[in-house]
Amino acid sequence: MTKKRQLIFSLVRGALAILIALLVAMLLIFISADGNSFGQRLSATAEAMKQLLVGPLFRINAQGIKFEGKRLADIFAAMIPTIFTGLSVCVMFAANQFNLGAEGGIMLGAFSSALVAIYVPLPKGLHALACILVGGAVTGVVMLIPALLKVKLNVSEMVCSLMLNYIIMYIIKYLMNTAYADKSKGQIQTYPFLNSSKIPALTQASIFTSSKLSWGIVIAALTVAAMGFFMYRSRWGYQIRMIGINQDFAKYSGMKVGFVIVLSQVLGGFLAGAGGGIEMLGRYPTFGWSALPGYGWTGITIAILAGNNPCFVPLAAFFLAYLGKGCDMMATYANVPTQLIAIVQGVIFLFFAAERFLSKYRQSLVVKTANEEIAAKMALAGGGGSLPQAGASGSQDSVKEGGKKDE
Amino acid sequence: MSNLLSNMLSPGFFFSIFRISAPILYATLAAIVVEKAGFANIGLEGLMMFSALFGSLASYYSQSWLVGFLVALLVGVGMSLLMGFFAFQLETDIILVGIAVNLMGSGGTLFLCKIITDITEGKAMASTTGLITSKLCIPNINIPVIRSIPFIGRVLSGHSLLTYTAFLMCILTSIMLYRTSLGLNIRAVGENANAAASVGVSVLKIKYIAIAFSGLMSGFGGAFMSMSYAQGWSQDMVAGRGFIALAAQAMGGGECLGGMFSSLLFGFAQALGIKFSSVGLDSNLASPIPYAITIISLAIFGFVRISRAKKPKVAA
Amino acid sequence: MGDEANREEYIVQMKKIDKVYSNGVAANQGVDFNLKKGEIHALMGENGAGKSTLMKMLFGMEQPTSGEIVINGESTVLSSPSVAIAKGIGMVHQHFMLVPSLSVAENVVLGMVPKKGLFIDKEKAVEITRQNAEKYNLHVEPEMRVADIPVGMKQKVEILKALVRGARILILDEPTAVLTAQETEELFRELTALKKEGYTVVFISHKLNEIKEITDRITIMRNGRSMGVYETKDVSKEDISRLMVGRDVILNVQKDAAKPTDVVLKVRNLEYVNEWNKKMLDKVSFDVRKGEILGIAGVEGNGQKELIDMLFNLNVPDAGEATVNGKSVIGKPQAKIREMGVSLVPEDRMLYGIAAQASIEENVISDRCAKKELNKGPLFHMGAIHKLSEQLVKDYTVLCKSPAQQVGMLSGGNIQKVVVAREFSNDPSLILADQPTRGIDVGATEFIRKKLVELSRSGIAVLLVSADLAEVMELSDSLIVMHNGRIVAYFQDTGTLSDEEMGEYMLGLKEQTPEEIRRVCHD
Repeated sequence: MTKKRQLIFSLVRGALAILIALLVAMLLIFISADGNSFGQRLSATAEAMKQLLVGPLFRINAQGIKFEGKRLADIFAAMIPTIFTGLSVCVMFAANQFNLGAEGGIMLGAFSSALVAIYVPLPKGLHALACILVGGAVTGVVMLIPALLKVKLNVSEMVCSLMLNYIIMYIIKYLMNTAYADKSKGQIQTYPFLNSSKIPALTQASIFTSSKLSWGIVIAALTVAAMGFFMYRSRWGYQIRMIGINQDFAKYSGMKVGFVIVLSQVLGGFLAGAGGGIEMLGRYPTFGWSALPGYGWTGITIAILAGNNPCFVPLAAFFLAYLGKGCDMMATYANVPTQLIAIVQGVIFLFFAAERFLSKYRQSLVVKTANEEIAAKMALAGGGGSLPQAGASGSQDSVKEGGKKDE
Repeated sequence: MSNLLSNMLSPGFFFSIFRISAPILYATLAAIVVEKAGFANIGLEGLMMFSALFGSLASYYSQSWLVGFLVALLVGVGMSLLMGFFAFQLETDIILVGIAVNLMGSGGTLFLCKIITDITEGKAMASTTGLITSKLCIPNINIPVIRSIPFIGRVLSGHSLLTYTAFLMCILTSIMLYRTSLGLNIRAVGENANAAASVGVSVLKIKYIAIAFSGLMSGFGGAFMSMSYAQGWSQDMVAGRGFIALAAQAMGGGECLGGMFSSLLFGFAQALGIKFSSVGLDSNLASPIPYAITIISLAIFGFVRISRAKKPKVAA
Repeated sequence: MGDEANREEYIVQMKKIDKVYSNGVAANQGVDFNLKKGEIHALMGENGAGKSTLMKMLFGMEQPTSGEIVINGESTVLSSPSVAIAKGIGMVHQHFMLVPSLSVAENVVLGMVPKKGLFIDKEKAVEITRQNAEKYNLHVEPEMRVADIPVGMKQKVEILKALVRGARILILDEPTAVLTAQETEELFRELTALKKEGYTVVFISHKLNEIKEITDRITIMRNGRSMGVYETKDVSKEDISRLMVGRDVILNVQKDAAKPTDVVLKVRNLEYVNEWNKKMLDKVSFDVRKGEILGIAGVEGNGQKELIDMLFNLNVPDAGEATVNGKSVIGKPQAKIREMGVSLVPEDRMLYGIAAQASIEENVISDRCAKKELNKGPLFHMGAIHKLSEQLVKDYTVLCKSPAQQVGMLSGGNIQKVVVAREFSNDPSLILADQPTRGIDVGATEFIRKKLVELSRSGIAVLLVSADLAEVMELSDSLIVMHNGRIVAYFQDTGTLSDEEMGEYMLGLKEQTPEEIRRVCHD
């Protein structure tokens, strides 16, 4: 298939998945809408959908719709932790490692960073950096557990990382209750972070005033770029991807498969942990998470939507944050519970991950391409070089059967 | 400390171990059967959330715990079949299908709860705890003779009906796997699908049955959570039991009996956690123990497996 | 009248069978094959001759492209194995279709389980198994787990499975390949007994002694065509060998005489017993020198694969040593082996040779991604990588739009060109080429052969393993033949060799003296 056709296919497929999810959402809203007659419900649904789709960026009222900078800033702010968990999952899934530890990882990173922010006085600027690095490093080291167990003893990294999520959560809760508790406060939380550690808000840009958007978004953007280069422009990312595609091939080619698998999970842990630190220092005055934050799971959705490519992570994160904001708007203005996001997200996730979804359409594009190629070759007949052995059906097959032996 | 010990030796403590283990056991049985059929269902957590919600709602609207219980089973089976459709027909990675169901299970259930009941307590909080009275819960059963035995009576009698069925199910599942042709087919499909297909066993059908069974067990577990363990559904009430079950399956060597002991171990650790807090210690210290045990035992299993494989072979 | 007689005589007739696979490979061309009731019929041929394809069609696993299958006088379409089973055909595959954790009895009754109420009637299952085992004189232990029984018994379970399902015609795909001598003998006794009961057996094998011992008639295949049907007693082993092994085309590869110099690869006394306790390598010793192509001929499954695996550390031998330029390769990581200048064109290119979903460019740099000239600090030097991949695509005439195209989208021949482009271009001192042209088009085949000759003449040592007789005889400067894990012959000069002679060595009819064989070690 040509690149262009591949792109068209991906776009059509993605759009259709989103459309199906929105239809499901619409149906749910319609069922739950206020009003007695069909017409009333329909208009209530339309109102809610308008909030969902337009609300994240525009204020809708009788005068028409008006762009709201603050809402955009909120979306960006919501993207900070999920970009990091998304990148984290990308790196691990790209190596075919189903490590689901980004969830516990971001909490551990946030907590470790918080401790440095509270107890280790350092100069401004350096302090935040130290916090983030410690958060990342601690999480990276903890991810050695599933990684080494996988490489050395073939223990499922998935079960192991799921268990780690809970261990991390309980230990942090214990520490928050005891050693690091700020007993003067009513709720369970730590002492406040030192001012030197805080990541300042992005208030310079006038459209973002009065939002919680911190410089963290800039760090996130830089990290995306760095990870894009790492995965597609460095030998390490290259090896991670090759191992993910075909581990036997990687071994035969002389790659250190075990080491790279460990690397991918440790790096994944580092990214989730660093993300936790950045989120914490940019948004909160003190550490008060008493449960897993859910960003790890969102990160998995993002990685799936982005096809494990870091460059698409911001896009996927933006999309999900936009939907999230839309659901918030619906909750505020159309009385639709905000958790609709979970269902919409789940449906999109499912259709993105479904291999056979639209496979017939894909097949028809492949056949079309193959036929064109053959026509082109016929035109060039006798032009030397080696022709493929099979006709149209052959090239079609070699695509479909991908990894199978061709005897 | 002596306070804690005396607390632990009370019949109430042992009673609570069984009660806490029951939902984990259901999910573990679900995990065992799909694993035998050759795949993993990591969406048990989400399935239980949905079953718990709809079970409690149906119980409230019908004013009958039985209807609620049946609806919970139905929802579990229906959703698991849908998972099967995505996994087997649309060739979605079964792990990803599970993740999607868990995603929907945590936030989506809250959404559904809100739109169905119109209860919106604040931004996040909404539950059906206000709707379910003890009359709408699964009844508790007092076993005639046993109840009057000292100590043991207070441990074994008076449990919810679904606590007893959990252990009954454990036996039935074992019988199903090892004594019926369905079980034989499930094990054959899981181990060598080609062999099963070559003698006319429909692999697809068996896989659907296995995942539907996991849905059924999740239905039991979900109903237990919202109609017995707690009165009514609340957000994230399953609290990782679906994941713990995956570990219990692995730790129990993929067998029903082993799975039961692993579930009881998890139940013990959680009961211990509760006791910890009752004597002023922090339950958060006890709660992670079962998860840590899981990782350690998986590592030990892995080590044993590897060293067995490395044994030098004997030349002929 | 003649028709009438045929109907009596043949229970299976496959007429003018053609089979073209969707990737364009013609596996069977106009093959006629028939079976008489109550005979043991050998189906012989080298690997890739089309035997398995033919039998898969008889068992309903594949459909013929054209031709007719007549069973008991009726023209039949065998659309699936279940249809074939219903027609009384059973097949025992080379890789057993058994469920290891189930008992023998459970495996036998799987899919047709006897029940007592809701439950499996285990006694009945054991009973069925035991009765049939006695009836057919196939000794099995019904209550043991299949995982715990020896290979020979597993095979009997497979035969029993087919018989219990009413098979009157049994297809056995290389049944003796995994058996010890005693087990083979036992199997033959059992097959003979079945024959007396009126069962028909198709026996796929390349072992001449066995064929002579047990079969009534022989169909020989070569290159997808039938070479005729013979009464076993009328043909000598030498005749069979000549019909089976032979070149269909003379390649006429242009090459100068080799001028071999120093020894590069030195293999001494390699031994390996596989997990079924079968000796796959038995004191294998040879040398490959700079500037020569040493070929390894032999029917597949006689230790060639194991040998290559040992040389690239994809497996570890029980004993013996292999060195490249004096340094051992046994147990070394692949990165180290590659550093020593060893390249491997793997037999299974989809498994080891490529990452199908990655681009051509990503596939050609897999062995050298850490090299200085392809990196600039922490990042790849993309300019150098593009230049390299474009050069390789051009040099190796890989037919593609650009090096950014996915490898999996290419045809088999072009995929193999990508593999050899990588393996030949990394300045190797030794190339291991394992079935380098299998299943690829003529153009690519010719190109790869020319490259191999060219590289060897430039002073590289080449070890060529090929099941294609023409290839291995005409490309190699000298040749060893492997049979049963041993080197049975060494020919210093391949020019004077005849196909007949080769066949006799390959099929184990002849063997050189140890002194003659030892000449391949240039100490």
